[in-house]
Amino acid sequence: MTAWKAFRGGLWDEIPVLRLMLGLCPTMAVTTSVKGGLTMGLSVVFVLICSNVVVSMMRNLLKPHLRIMMFTLTIAAFVTIADMYLKAFQPVMSEKLGAYIPLIIVNCIIICRSEACAAKNGIWVSAVDGLAMGLGFTIVLCFLASIREILSTGCITFSETAVWTVLNPVDKGGWFTPWAAMAMPVGAFITLGLTLGAVNQLTKKKA
Amino acid sequence: MSNSIKLFFRESWLLMVSAVFFGALLAVANAAWAPKIAQNEINKFSNLAKALLPEAMKFEPLQNKDKIIIDLGDGKTAGADVRKGLDAAGNCIGWAFLAEGSGFADKIKLVVTADAGFTKLNGFGVQQCSETPGFGDKITIKNGFYQAQYKQAPAGKFTLTKIGDSKKIDSEIVAITGATVTSQAVVNIMNTYVVQIKQQLQQKKLIGQ
Amino acid sequence: MNFAVSLALGFISIVLINNFVFTKFLGSCPYLGVSGRLDMAFGMGMAVTFVTTLAGAMTWLIDHLFLNGTPLEVTRYVCYILVIAGAVQLVEMYLRKFFPSLYEAFGIFLPLITTNCVILGLCIFLNLWQIDNFLMAVVLSFGAGMGFTMAICIMAGIRENLAMADIPECLQGAPITLITAGLLTLAFMGFAGMIK
Repeated sequence: MTAWKAFRGGLWDEIPVLRLMLGLCPTMAVTTSVKGGLTMGLSVVFVLICSNVVVSMMRNLLKPHLRIMMFTLTIAAFVTIADMYLKAFQPVMSEKLGAYIPLIIVNCIIICRSEACAAKNGIWVSAVDGLAMGLGFTIVLCFLASIREILSTGCITFSETAVWTVLNPVDKGGWFTPWAAMAMPVGAFITLGLTLGAVNQLTKKKA
Repeated sequence: MSNSIKLFFRESWLLMVSAVFFGALLAVANAAWAPKIAQNEINKFSNLAKALLPEAMKFEPLQNKDKIIIDLGDGKTAGADVRKGLDAAGNCIGWAFLAEGSGFADKIKLVVTADAGFTKLNGFGVQQCSETPGFGDKITIKNGFYQAQYKQAPAGKFTLTKIGDSKKIDSEIVAITGATVTSQAVVNIMNTYVVQIKQQLQQKKLIGQ
Repeated sequence: MNFAVSLALGFISIVLINNFVFTKFLGSCPYLGVSGRLDMAFGMGMAVTFVTTLAGAMTWLIDHLFLNGTPLEVTRYVCYILVIAGAVQLVEMYLRKFFPSLYEAFGIFLPLITTNCVILGLCIFLNLWQIDNFLMAVVLSFGAGMGFTMAICIMAGIRENLAMADIPECLQGAPITLITAGLLTLAFMGFAGMIK
């Protein structure tokens, strides 16, 4: 497996969520706002690269029955670091994402990449794979989050001053009645379902 | 015997070594960031309180002997985090406290402020709320119609009505349409905390009668 | 008496109102992946309930005996996941040795469970909600597992019938399952606010 193939795999051929159907809980839980999705995605990028590199370094020392234990230990350590970093420098986001940051530990994408890629490949390829998979995940999160945030509030909010209004909502004198359901769990399931359907339709035509 | 010990170590040395290594890594990260995290916790309270009491420079916790205990009903009590808002000269210009109670979905945590004599409220800010988006979470809108009803409202018992004039500032609070439970929850939190804190502050001679 | 009531309320709340799958998306992967057949779904649900109860109780004890208030708090997540991974492996070995029939029934799901977010999620939420009573922690852990079982069984029942429906080609499989799940969530929102 070459680094280029790993890179392309993460961003298109095996893009997480859409093709692999892994890591669904954070995908649905944090995509109420683009900023939340972006923070989550970047945390996953960090954890994926670090854990892939470390797992790749010790791949020849792994004992079969302690393997999963080693993976989870590595991942948990890096997730704790990411969690502390967010608490220290992004307190608002950390508060908002709450339990979903520690839950990166059990995000199936990470353990799947440890098992499928890092435990078999060199450090360089594993690092690239981690980066690509993480970025692929981030892109999907941002895409879903922008759909949900626009439909549920009419605008994309990065901070109190940086608000990008797409559909002018009624309470600010516009015409668009926000769909509150999009911010609720219902919106998450249905947006993801329809997006998957659309991806299936598009790729089928190409084939 | 010695063989089984050898086997044990041969199988698990990696796990032990990496546990120690990751432990050290976490300790370093924690040592570097812990003060910042602690500071953020303090800022969270004072930022919200400061938005409501802009003249306050500092929020000082009460002394231990003045600790305020709130009776939550059903025989449960809880210590309330009440702080004195001080201006640059060190004069008390208001009070801020953390109040919590259960809402529609989960716990609601509010930072409530009052003026120096605890006669009128200065409004509240929301520290934690996971109410239904589009309905219950309207309580979080800064200076929205719901929050505005508590600004300058008398510090006493509140009642909730479904119809009324929300512009009139009194102890009658008009509910958010479609989120009566959340509106009631905020009123309940206020009723639990405001009166008791006021009474205890009076007993402790921290404010006038 | 009051305590018994609060236990019962906690149980109902975590099964129906704050159901982990419907309101917190925890356990979505197995919820969509293993819900193809009712018997499989039930087996998975039972295995999860079993491990959740065990892991919830153990992490609560570890939290209150070792971690709370000490500098070791930074290793909380590492401890949790190691406890869960260890518990899963122990349960697997124990069942294989002493209850072969039970192992046949849901043993195959056990290795998958380590990365099931319901379990770690529950441990983290027990900590976030500051549950200070051991019995309450056990009841909530059991309830979370039961909630998951209920959700996955309802889903499996629907999907067995869905197999006979005429679904547009691009929506077959995962997409229609997700949309169904969304509608189920909407239905379960009716329970919200049942307990004040």
